[in-house]
Amino acid sequence: MDWQALWLTARLAALVSTILVVISIPLAHWIVFNRRRWTFLVESVVSLPLVLPPTVMGFYLLMATGTRSPLGRLWNEWTGHPLAFTFEGLVVASVFYSLPFAVQPVAAAFAQIDPTLREASATLGASRLRTFLRVVLPLSIEGVVAGLVLSFAHTVGEFGVVLMVGGNLPGVTRTISIAVYDHVQALQYREATLTALFMLAFSFAVLLMVYGLRRRPLAAAPMA
Amino acid sequence: MVVLALALAPAGVSTQARPRLAIAAASDLQAVLPEIVGAFERARQASVAVSYGSSGTFFAQIQNGAPFDVFLSADVEYPRQLIAAGLADTSTLQVYATGHLVVWARRDRRLDLARGLASLTDPRVRHVAVANPKYAPYGRAAVAALRSARLYDALQPKLVMGESLAQTAQLVESGNADAGVLSLSLVLGPTLKAEGTYTEIPASLHPPIDQAVVVVKASRAGGLARDFIAYLRQAETIDRFTRFGFTVPRPAAR
Amino acid sequence: MTLSARLTKRLTSGFALDVSFVVEPGVTILFGASGSGKTTILRCVAGLTRPDAGRVAVGERVLFDSQSPRDVPVPERRLGYVFQQLALFPHMTVAENIAYGLAALPRGERQQRVVEAAGSFHIEGLLGRRPDQISGGERQRTALARALVTDPDALLLDEPLSALDYAIQRHIMDDLRRWNEARRIPVLYVTHSHREAFALGDRLLALEQGRVVASGSPHEVLDHPAHAPLAALAGFENLFAATVAARSERGGTMRCLLAGTSTELEVPLGAAPVGAPVRIALRAGDILLADREPAGLSARNILRGTVAASTMHGTTVVATIDAGARFLVHLTPGGADTLGLQPGNPVWLVIKTYSCRVAHPRDSAGQ
Repeated sequence: MDWQALWLTARLAALVSTILVVISIPLAHWIVFNRRRWTFLVESVVSLPLVLPPTVMGFYLLMATGTRSPLGRLWNEWTGHPLAFTFEGLVVASVFYSLPFAVQPVAAAFAQIDPTLREASATLGASRLRTFLRVVLPLSIEGVVAGLVLSFAHTVGEFGVVLMVGGNLPGVTRTISIAVYDHVQALQYREATLTALFMLAFSFAVLLMVYGLRRRPLAAAPMA
Repeated sequence: MVVLALALAPAGVSTQARPRLAIAAASDLQAVLPEIVGAFERARQASVAVSYGSSGTFFAQIQNGAPFDVFLSADVEYPRQLIAAGLADTSTLQVYATGHLVVWARRDRRLDLARGLASLTDPRVRHVAVANPKYAPYGRAAVAALRSARLYDALQPKLVMGESLAQTAQLVESGNADAGVLSLSLVLGPTLKAEGTYTEIPASLHPPIDQAVVVVKASRAGGLARDFIAYLRQAETIDRFTRFGFTVPRPAAR
Repeated sequence: MTLSARLTKRLTSGFALDVSFVVEPGVTILFGASGSGKTTILRCVAGLTRPDAGRVAVGERVLFDSQSPRDVPVPERRLGYVFQQLALFPHMTVAENIAYGLAALPRGERQQRVVEAAGSFHIEGLLGRRPDQISGGERQRTALARALVTDPDALLLDEPLSALDYAIQRHIMDDLRRWNEARRIPVLYVTHSHREAFALGDRLLALEQGRVVASGSPHEVLDHPAHAPLAALAGFENLFAATVAARSERGGTMRCLLAGTSTELEVPLGAAPVGAPVRIALRAGDILLADREPAGLSARNILRGTVAASTMHGTTVVATIDAGARFLVHLTPGGADTLGLQPGNPVWLVIKTYSCRVAHPRDSAGQ
């Protein structure tokens, strides 16, 4: 059992999903409540990872973060390390790759909030921030949780992008899904199955915890 | 909020685990390389991390700064291109082994492989797995051999491509393909040896599958990397290669 | 403190809103059919919708002025607003809803004001419940309490009582009235129900297709409706254009010739000179029918006509009588049976002078 790979994957998924919750909320808020004529362009870019094959994405992310790219070189100057082939590189790549999985549930939850509730909040003297924190967010928390869970699960299961951008370096970028692949490559099917089953159990346990902690089932009816 | 706790955990793990020598190795070396690396680690008190995969992917990654010190390719072309791009040290280029092709099938298929490639024309063989000739050296050699034996046109409709040699092996081992063209080194490994039978394909049928090694210029473990390359020429290493079905040129060829 | 507004805006229904009015302390009804622009006016005053041009001020404080330009953001306008759908926060209790606008106050004072407001609207027992756990009337009261507890400079209400029983409406209106007696802020109350208008309004602004067509007390405007849609809303089924044919100062009446006919009606004396155009509104329930020419009645209008049609609407019989002009008459089924209303039958209409409400289209227009 490749404990190192498991720990790496857990940290990667946790970090990526946390970053995505933080990014996706303002982004979804802007998309839903501040629509401009060109908002649809932003929506399309955000959804791009849904339609690109992971290996294609991985290849382009590698080009964008490798030592020959402007971003890669800048990062190297700042930190002394390259961006690709490091844990940090995986985080950056995974954030892009899972972005639509975080943004879409949150945006959907925001969109189904009755607009007069936000107007009522404003007429009662609440600033936009207060309206967001006291009205919008509590009423859309299920969407936020869904985004969190989906990003987490999606990152755990990532393969193509992680392989390309990470380089399969043990202890650094060899995630559990790559460990399984390695066992298969080495024709070690027993180890592969064991690791895969463990991965499944781990992900399922996380999902159980998240859904078990929620008080209400999905989609309570809106109030008149 | 377990998620948050995990996210904020210290990054210590990644820096501690940094190996002192990082090797990118073609996937057909999976059976033989662990032994060689283990012996090297003991002899030099070094820590070596090996990543197996397809030579083409490693090539692209090294171009983009992948932190490998040594690249054990499945051919000579990729190392040559790295040298041409100024990313590898030409003085370290050497052919470390030459691979051989075999036809392999599961024992329980009860196929008679005595005729080598021609056995694949058996009507009971519906799918033949080969590595993708577009980028896998063993795949290219397999197709070349089929053409030389004038069997390509007959067998082409049955061909199934594997993304790497290991994946090709998996296609046959799992029963999705009835037989496959693999490397001798793979079939001499424990799993395939137990489960199937093979016949060697004459080397005259295809250009030699010379596998070359090179040290990546950006490597920070240059000294240790060169030691490893030298170690590949040691008698005990050559023995290991031979046992696993490779031919090793003596002395080192350029 | 008064609320004054001057607004123009192009509406989605096609026509343009162009109004100018002043709301004194007390309840002013904004009366009109759907699509006439009432809700848009409220939203413009509150700042939820931006007018194309205009000026909104409460007392000395200018909230919007397209010329300066000035546009005070919604949260700073200090206006109470009750939405048609109430917009109660479903995830908060009644107490939390009411307290929402009081976030700037210290906790003790906030709680006190919440209890006070809940008491004024008789919902003190419901403070711990959620909106989906209380009745429709209780929700309306909560919405009112929530808007009023913040001590706004003015109150804007968008059909707040429409879906309720008359009895409950009355109670809530009483509570609202009592609250406002102490504070005397301008209240702008949107409705299309003439019953609410009469019960609650001190003054009434009648809105039609984006313009104020009449203003005055509810009785003034609605009992003498100058325009057909207003008349219909106010419950007058018959509205005739006519000209003054003769005036009798001594008799206190005038005779008017109904346009396009030779039929005359005698109506209460008004200011219009002979030859001036007027409108005469008549309730269908105020007309008597007889199957033979009646004698010995005080009524000054006895017209001979023919039954054109007769249909049942719920428990009322609606008869259309052709007497030069077409009159709609309401009867009970019993009354209709007695008469035997067959199309083509002759029938006499009896109309009291005082049932005829005369309006002079020019001088009933808004200020």
